[in-house]
Amino acid sequence: MNVTLAVKQYVTRMIEDSGPGMKVLLMDKDTTSIVSMVYTQSEILQKEVYLLERIDSQNRDNMKHLKAICYLRPTKENVESLIQELRRPKYSVYFIYFSNVISKSEIKALAEADEQEVVAEIQEFYGDFIAVNPHLFSLNLQGVARGRSWDPTMLARSTQGLTSVLLALKKCPVIRYQLSSDMAKRLAESVKLIITKEYELFDFRKTEVPPLLLILDRSDDAITPLLNQWTYQAMVHELLGLNNNRIDLSRVPGISKDLREVVLSADNDDFYANNLYLNFGEIGTNIKNLMEDFQKKKPKGQQRLESISDMKAFVDSYPQFKKMSGAVSKHVTVVGELSRLVAERQLMEVSEVEQELACQNDHSSAQQKVRRLLRLPGVCELDAVRLVMLYALRYERHSNSALPAMMEELAKRGVSEKYRKMVHSVVEYGGKRVRGSDLVTATDAVAITKQFLKGLKGVENVYTQHQPLLQDTLDQLVKGKLRDAQFPYLGASSLRDRPQDVLVFVVGGATYEEALCVYNLNRSVPGVRIVLGGTTHQEVLVLPTVLTTVLTTVHTTVHTTVHTTVHSTKRY
Amino acid sequence: MASSYPPPFEGTGEVKEGFICPLCHKDLQSFYQLQDHYEEEHSGDDRHVRGQLKSLVQKAKKAKDKLLKRDGDDRADTGSYESFYYGGVDPYMWEPQELGATRNHQDYFKKHRAARIDHYVIEVNKLLIRLEKLTSFDRTNSDVAKIRAIEKSVVPWVSDSDVPFCPDCGNKFNIRNRRHHCRLCGSIMCRKCMDFVPLPLAYKLTSGTRESLCIPGSPGQSQAPPSGAGASGMGSRRGSLSSLSSVTSMLEEKDDEKIRCCHHCMDTLLKRQQKLEERDHMPDIVKLYERLRMCMDKVDEKAPEYIKVAESLNAGETTYNLDSAGGLRLEVQKYYELIDALSKRILTLGMKDDPAPTPKSLHLQKMIRYTATLFVQEKLLGLMSLPTKDKYEALKEKRKQEQEKKLQQERLAAQESMRKRQESEKNRSVATTNGEVPPAPKPPRMTKAGGWLPSADSKKTHSELKDPLLQQIDNIQSFLRQAREAQRTDEVAMLEENLRQLQDEYDQQQTSLAIALSQKLAQEENLQQGEIQRLEARERSEWEQRAPAADSRQPSSIWECSLDLGEPVAGYVEEDKIGEVTPKFERSPLSLRAFPALAGQEESPPRLRSLGGHVTPPSSEGPNSSSLNPFEEDSTPTEEDPSNPFFEDIQEEHKEVSNGKKEYNPFDDEEDNGGQEEPAATSLGNPFEEESSETSNPFTEASGDSPGVSTNPFEGDEDAGALADIDMIEEELLLQQIDNIRAYIFDAKINGRLDEVELLSANLRELQHTLQEQKKTH
Repeated sequence: MNVTLAVKQYVTRMIEDSGPGMKVLLMDKDTTSIVSMVYTQSEILQKEVYLLERIDSQNRDNMKHLKAICYLRPTKENVESLIQELRRPKYSVYFIYFSNVISKSEIKALAEADEQEVVAEIQEFYGDFIAVNPHLFSLNLQGVARGRSWDPTMLARSTQGLTSVLLALKKCPVIRYQLSSDMAKRLAESVKLIITKEYELFDFRKTEVPPLLLILDRSDDAITPLLNQWTYQAMVHELLGLNNNRIDLSRVPGISKDLREVVLSADNDDFYANNLYLNFGEIGTNIKNLMEDFQKKKPKGQQRLESISDMKAFVDSYPQFKKMSGAVSKHVTVVGELSRLVAERQLMEVSEVEQELACQNDHSSAQQKVRRLLRLPGVCELDAVRLVMLYALRYERHSNSALPAMMEELAKRGVSEKYRKMVHSVVEYGGKRVRGSDLVTATDAVAITKQFLKGLKGVENVYTQHQPLLQDTLDQLVKGKLRDAQFPYLGASSLRDRPQDVLVFVVGGATYEEALCVYNLNRSVPGVRIVLGGTTHQEVLVLPTVLTTVLTTVHTTVHTTVHTTVHSTKRY
Repeated sequence: MASSYPPPFEGTGEVKEGFICPLCHKDLQSFYQLQDHYEEEHSGDDRHVRGQLKSLVQKAKKAKDKLLKRDGDDRADTGSYESFYYGGVDPYMWEPQELGATRNHQDYFKKHRAARIDHYVIEVNKLLIRLEKLTSFDRTNSDVAKIRAIEKSVVPWVSDSDVPFCPDCGNKFNIRNRRHHCRLCGSIMCRKCMDFVPLPLAYKLTSGTRESLCIPGSPGQSQAPPSGAGASGMGSRRGSLSSLSSVTSMLEEKDDEKIRCCHHCMDTLLKRQQKLEERDHMPDIVKLYERLRMCMDKVDEKAPEYIKVAESLNAGETTYNLDSAGGLRLEVQKYYELIDALSKRILTLGMKDDPAPTPKSLHLQKMIRYTATLFVQEKLLGLMSLPTKDKYEALKEKRKQEQEKKLQQERLAAQESMRKRQESEKNRSVATTNGEVPPAPKPPRMTKAGGWLPSADSKKTHSELKDPLLQQIDNIQSFLRQAREAQRTDEVAMLEENLRQLQDEYDQQQTSLAIALSQKLAQEENLQQGEIQRLEARERSEWEQRAPAADSRQPSSIWECSLDLGEPVAGYVEEDKIGEVTPKFERSPLSLRAFPALAGQEESPPRLRSLGGHVTPPSSEGPNSSSLNPFEEDSTPTEEDPSNPFFEDIQEEHKEVSNGKKEYNPFDDEEDNGGQEEPAATSLGNPFEEESSETSNPFTEASGDSPGVSTNPFEGDEDAGALADIDMIEEELLLQQIDNIRAYIFDAKINGRLDEVELLSANLRELQHTLQEQKKTH
């Protein structure tokens, strides 16, 4: 069930299959990011892969002493590029791996192009998704919807991605979907179709309890992606932009040259791995410890090397010291920058109000606080819009809505029309009319009591009160209590026992808050393994893209069309 | 370590305490009630008893296996520990992911390719045959008409009237735009679309086929064309076009040095030519790279070997020779130098060539160099340095002392456990003498473990002194007694067998307990002295030891049985002697106590006790690593765990068992001889006689005159050799440090860490200075 390892296994196998010798890895745009999420450069260098090339790049030279490993999505363009490549091979031998199912006719076309007999291997390795964490994957697709329905190419791509996850994990699941979402249903059907069509591929060893695929729709919980997060991974992502495990720090004032871009990967960075899901306060403490630890080990400037043993000690400890110093300076810089941004954007205050909006039910206090923040100059434009969006979603039908007044405030602040229109788009995207579950107000007695008890207990941490809707859904799911009426099974088969292996896929993207919640569920519920995926995991959290995602899904504004075209050109 | 693994049978059912009948699990109030109950209720079904006991023994064994195998599946253990702790499993701890589904299209692909290739090969061959025909006659001396005739005979020409337009460019043919025929396929094209095969190229192509058919690599023809096949061929074509052919071909179209052909044929031929070239050509980078990889493989092979040796030496062990280690180090270092040099050459490859290498190949070279640097950095750092001769001696001394200390601690721990056992024994013996009288209240420890329940005894196989195993032993002993009273001989034999096995288990437990204790103490001490490195080495060797110890158990027990007859008393002798050396006289009765029920019996049970114990020396010695370090054994025999009174005996046995290791230790034979003689001498006397200990004991002797100096040829060698080499090693070391620091400086410079560079260069100067001084002194 470990998606990171699943992809890594594939890549490792590819490299090993090609035997010893210098190698070049030929990839396309998508597989490049797929591979880079699981392999670091030095790791892949150790396996004798010295060059990483794009199949579509024109300036590749003839290098017959290299073996080529091609890892490509089976798109038309890629097959065409590959045919050209085989006609005039630049490398001595080709090991070809497609990341998904490829048609017989395309294989035939490739075979006929291979007049020089350079192809040694042609296989399908189903790593057609981006593995972020062992339990989190993404398809890295934006603008999957047109209005309330799928963009056809995106549906096909999402189906491919999702089936490849199933194949990589060797799961042939029972499928459930969210009834209120047409998109979820369409995807479920599409996945089912592939499973039926490629039944030979999906012929895995049967387990006692079959795995479960649950398909949800983002529009059911539009609030979660609008909240500021406080865990390390989520903050880094939200505030600095985490792209394929890389952060760009070049905007940080006074940054040194080698820290312009840093890699944060849980695989080879212990500090990051240990602090991924800790909140900002805890990270502060941990980084302090890290520093102190480092200071202790740091060789003193005036350290004299009196004897050979001194020198030996120095030489022996130096590389360790260097490695540590690299880690320390990286994390200190990152955390420093995070806290600078938190202070600059007054995120503490913003987040507090956000959480109150999301979790409490006090309209007058909430609207007062929002309006006060809107007047603060430090709060940035995006956060302001985000607050108003939250308010609009939360108190959509409130008789005393202060939304018009807030919109005025936004206008007064000079927030551009583009952003202001998004408030309405969000409501259209994830408003009450659309939602299948009750996101904000509890209806049944149990939920009301729960909420009441929570109120009594008081809040442990104001910044992390919010629990995503997914938490509830999955809770019920693992207890076997998820209602069939809301989440029906596709087809006749259904699960009588509690599920064991669960794959949750969120159309419209998953968030890091949800990833954290799945992580904790995995750790706390025995016998259950849950993997979370989404059409995207990254951009959905970075505000501008949240908004564009939302925009592309709602055909109301002028900007929608602009953005839709932008995205359609990006499509592959 | 002990605290990190999960309780083996956590939650596998309730644990009953008290006097519980092993068969019906009925709780009896006291031991004798239980005994009565047992006799009344279960005396009939002795088959049942046997099964019960067997299962008990098996359980104990299982528990032991679990403990011994533990280091093998440590990971799984921690995983289950995690899951136990959190309820669920951290996604990072999920079991390893197997390779996902794959699908191979190879067959389908090959089928289609084969069809295509056949076609392609036929085409190419056709062209080559024609080319050969066209080049086989003397072109220069034949006249135009004759050439034309031959050419036409090779391939039928398409008639002019059929082709009004050039098939390639579509231009209309007329007087000015004349038709030309391809000599290879007979098709028609215009002047612009025409191509020429230069004769050298033609020769080369055809010679290729000819050669491959007859003698491979005949130098005659193959030598000439390759010299300028590609480039000069093209050149000649261009040259002839500009000068000669521009005139001649206008007049009579005589192609002296080239064969007219179409683009398609030319294309096919060029591909063919390229393939031919590549087949023989191996770029320099490949040659260098192959050597580089070879060196890396060598390092991968040698470095671990060296590290093992160096660790052992640094820990003051005497298994390996300092000189040979130095040699190994030199060898590994040489490989590093080679890797460095080779990768540097790869980096600068082709830099000075006229057509500079393409950016991609430069990038490739850079990456190879980078990888080599990473490799050297990573592996070189693992290469710890060797101790100097003096230091080595000091280390050895220190180690010896430590072992003695540890030994003392072990002894203390053992005594503790002995005392406790004795206490319980006293209670016991009172009960025994009183026969059926209800016993005095037992010490609480005795009842606490609740060992009567078979399942409970495996639960706490370690950590508890009054553990269930011991109780079980007692239990069986009492059964045994009853059985004997009842004159049931078959049952007696069976029970004895079981008892023996249980005692095995118990002995092992005891020793592992002592190990754990002493290890902890030793570790603390080591920490204080900053000898962490050494600790690691020791732990490693210990673990290495444990595995074989577990393995050797079976065969050795067989051996044991056969030896029994020959020297049944050796164990007693040694035990008594130890009693003298370490004045703990209570141990002597203790050995009697351990088998009170069998006191009058044959020797076999005590022997079997030692059988159980004999597995322990490697572990009880723990880090001493007896097999790796045989010299240690004879120098400090007293280091043996005194809790096992038969340790000498055991040691011998162990050596016998580990015959395979003899090559390390020429003394094994000697000792064995000594060991065998000695018991032979003593076995005549009363096994319990104390005086027998005065017989020549190789072990005590060895310890007496501080061994190794006189008896150890290795040591002597080392002395002589190392004295001569010591300065060299010192220098070697210095040089290596300098190298290392240089590498770091380079690295730091690349990364722009100026402060580090400064620090490093200061250190470098220091080192160089030291080196010079060193040189001066010689």
